[in-house]
Amino acid sequence: MNRDQIIETTKRFLSEEFEVSTEKIIPENNLQQTLELDSLDYVDLVVVIEENFGFKPTAEDFKTVITFEDFYQLVEQKLAELA
Amino acid sequence: MIIMQIEKSQIKNYIPQREPFIMIDEMTNITEKGFESQFNILSDNLFLDNNILSESSLVENIAQTCAAGFGYLNSLQSEGEPRLGFIGAVTKLTNFKYAELNQLINTKVEILNTFENIHLIQGTCFLGEEKLVECQMKIVLA
Repeated sequence: MNRDQIIETTKRFLSEEFEVSTEKIIPENNLQQTLELDSLDYVDLVVVIEENFGFKPTAEDFKTVITFEDFYQLVEQKLAELA
Repeated sequence: MIIMQIEKSQIKNYIPQREPFIMIDEMTNITEKGFESQFNILSDNLFLDNNILSESSLVENIAQTCAAGFGYLNSLQSEGEPRLGFIGAVTKLTNFKYAELNQLINTKVEILNTFENIHLIQGTCFLGEEKLVECQMKIVLA
């Protein structure tokens, strides 16, 4: 899965799960603020990431994720590890 | 895989609730993937109204099934009091049918996912093969 596919997949499932416009899911935006995540929402985020990308992120992984760009990098790294 | 049952006399060791608010009689199955419990609706149940048990009582039954299951699993890992579990959210709730006096409820809980101390579970109460209530819950362990 290349970067464009990761971005499109991410936009689709995040907009569906968290009812946010895909226009707000842009690399420089803050992921937590854009999706309005509270601590309980992270388990939902883990579920959709696992369903769509096949890996389960840890709390440690999320420490490095501030923006959507950070998230895309995390996904690329995890998918490379799985390959 | 852990397979365990907890009899009625031991339930209080794993959940914080006390009579008359205990809404499970025994745990019939505990594994790392999910839990099962039984509950007999007796006439002294506080939540009976015209011999009908409220929907919220079955939601509480699911929550207590989780509490006992997670409490038991936690007791295997650490000594002392089991960690308390709190309902963080209830979603996708469907009430198919009400439970009545003297019916035996079987409840099944499947652990769908876990992130840190938050568990996402699918809980279903059955009367025989018939679904009474199902929902998803986020259980937060303190």
